[in-house]
Amino acid sequence: MSDVESDANLEADAHASITIGKPAADLHALWLRPETQSRIWAHFADVRVVGDRTAEWVAKGPAGGEYRWQTLTKANSPNELSWSTLDKADVANQGVLTMRPAPGDRGTELYLDVRFDPPGGIVGKAISKMFHIVPREIVRTALYRFRALALTGEIARTDPQPAGRNGGTDH
Amino acid sequence: MRALCWNGVNDLRVETVSDPEIINPSDVILKVRLSTTCGSDLHLIDGLIPTMREGDVLGHEFMGEIVDVGREVTKVKRGDRVVVPSFISCGKCWYCQHDLYSLCDTTHPKPELQEPLLGYPTAGIYAYSHAFGGYSGAHAEYVRVPFADTDCFLVPDGVADDAALFISDAAPTGFMGADFCNIHQGDVIAVWGCGGVGLMAQQGAMILGAERVIAIDKYPERLAQAEAFGAIPLDFTKVDVIEALQELTGGRGPDACIDAVGMEADGTGVQKVYDGVKQALHLETDRGAALRQAMLAVRKGGTLSILGVYGVMDKFPLGLIMNKGITVRTAQQHGQAYVDRLLEYTQRGELTPAALATHRFSLEDSPKGYHMFKHKEDGCLRSVFVP
Ligand SMILES: NC(=O)c1ccc[n+]([C@@H]2O[C@H](COP(=O)([O-])OP(=O)(O)OC[C@H]3O[C@@H](n4cnc5c(N)ncnc54)[C@H](O)[C@@H]3O)[C@@H](O)[C@H]2O)c1
Ligand SMILES: [Zn+2]
Ligand SMILES: [Zn+2]
Repeated sequence: MSDVESDANLEADAHASITIGKPAADLHALWLRPETQSRIWAHFADVRVVGDRTAEWVAKGPAGGEYRWQTLTKANSPNELSWSTLDKADVANQGVLTMRPAPGDRGTELYLDVRFDPPGGIVGKAISKMFHIVPREIVRTALYRFRALALTGEIARTDPQPAGRNGGTDH
Repeated sequence: MRALCWNGVNDLRVETVSDPEIINPSDVILKVRLSTTCGSDLHLIDGLIPTMREGDVLGHEFMGEIVDVGREVTKVKRGDRVVVPSFISCGKCWYCQHDLYSLCDTTHPKPELQEPLLGYPTAGIYAYSHAFGGYSGAHAEYVRVPFADTDCFLVPDGVADDAALFISDAAPTGFMGADFCNIHQGDVIAVWGCGGVGLMAQQGAMILGAERVIAIDKYPERLAQAEAFGAIPLDFTKVDVIEALQELTGGRGPDACIDAVGMEADGTGVQKVYDGVKQALHLETDRGAALRQAMLAVRKGGTLSILGVYGVMDKFPLGLIMNKGITVRTAQQHGQAYVDRLLEYTQRGELTPAALATHRFSLEDSPKGYHMFKHKEDGCLRSVFVP
């Protein structure tokens, strides 16, 4: 692994950007739809909507560990959404999603910044240990999934599917 | 159902696995009528492509009948006889809309596995390792096909199953390779490899108006098939390929060279020993004998069209490309851009993909079929499996 990569693994801040061939208004609305959050973060956490713009997150760690928190999402402007965790979060975090028109006919550029503040100020290295996934991957994959959902109405999946293991099926 | 599973290097077994089911609303389930071997599978079987998992169902070149449809599917229906390209494409993203289907932006279920290798994830593909999506393959009784409205192509009457089959992968790949050559009147095209892909590239180049097509390989029966298609055969073990190509082009060199060989290329002499040792020591997983030869042979300012699959090549003579002003075109096949057209050529008898179907096996005998295909026994060009 290169130095650059291991540095990235140490980051508690994660940033990713993606371009989606849709107007910002559509993407803004899709992001706020209750089922969207549970679908785009599924590689990382179970997200359940519990109230108007509040959601309960349960991230799984290795060896059966579980981390819980609740978030409140705000629409700051037509081009910006943000969330932050409420009190008593196992891993406090906040995120900001900014949208800008992409050049030509390419739609909208999305920039997502997420910052994790683990208890006791553990550095980012611990984040990837806690969740078994590096923060950068958490956000890049979420944006990939969001784009798929925005463009096609679905997210690519391969489970369940036939395989010569686990009794014949991948779950 | 029964399916052919990869269990490690050179370890293929037919096993009982669960039936596929509809997962997403644009999916269909296909009852496989025919599936076939591809040179790309050899990279998996030889262990040259990482991120395979024991138990993965193989097979990415297939056709069949739709037996179940998801609720968003509108263009195809139960009972349709269809052929499906090997890359899974949504039809809605920027790449699909620019005919770059194998680069689709939405069909990779595990983008995090591939993005570190390539910078960005490609489309998912059936049965081609988890870095390429981990989709279950088609050497099985049934297979799930996502984005059916974009990826299922109705096979017209008059195109038999064993012709339609190759319009899944070998034919669009070869045809795309010829298309990359931007063929003009008088152009001479040389094709390295007379496997399914190379032969389809040769027929494609003729359809697109090449003056002359030269076919390079060492297997007599494959060279004979190339000749039957109208190409000039060259056995690279018997002639000096570079000299022969100059001889056939008045010293100009071919206007475009197509590599339909890939990383299992056979070399001759010192290069072969060197590449073999490196491969055995895992120093590099590529043996680029054919590709190097094509770069040397192509005329100045010509086109190099690369269809063969390569890994990470640490010795690549870039200076040849630069100093000769060569245009390089390459891609995994953008099948969806070509299938309708290829079905028409086939209906009119201009393209004859069924010629690739030299050997037929039941699905139960598919490991034997792969063995014959890999070792080119008994003139085997492609093994076709009937579930
Ligand atoms: N780009 C794509 O989307 C795509 C799709 C399908 C296959 N492929 C690739 O295309 C290549 C060919 O596939 P195939 O199914 O025809 O495989 P194949 O194994 O049937 O054919 C390869 C042929 O190349 C010949 N060959 C080996 N070394 C040679 C050399 N030095 N000079 C000339 N010929 C040589 C072999 O004798 C063989 O006949 C493979 O690398 C495969 O992975 C790419
Ligand atoms: Zn193939
Ligand atoms: Zn797409």
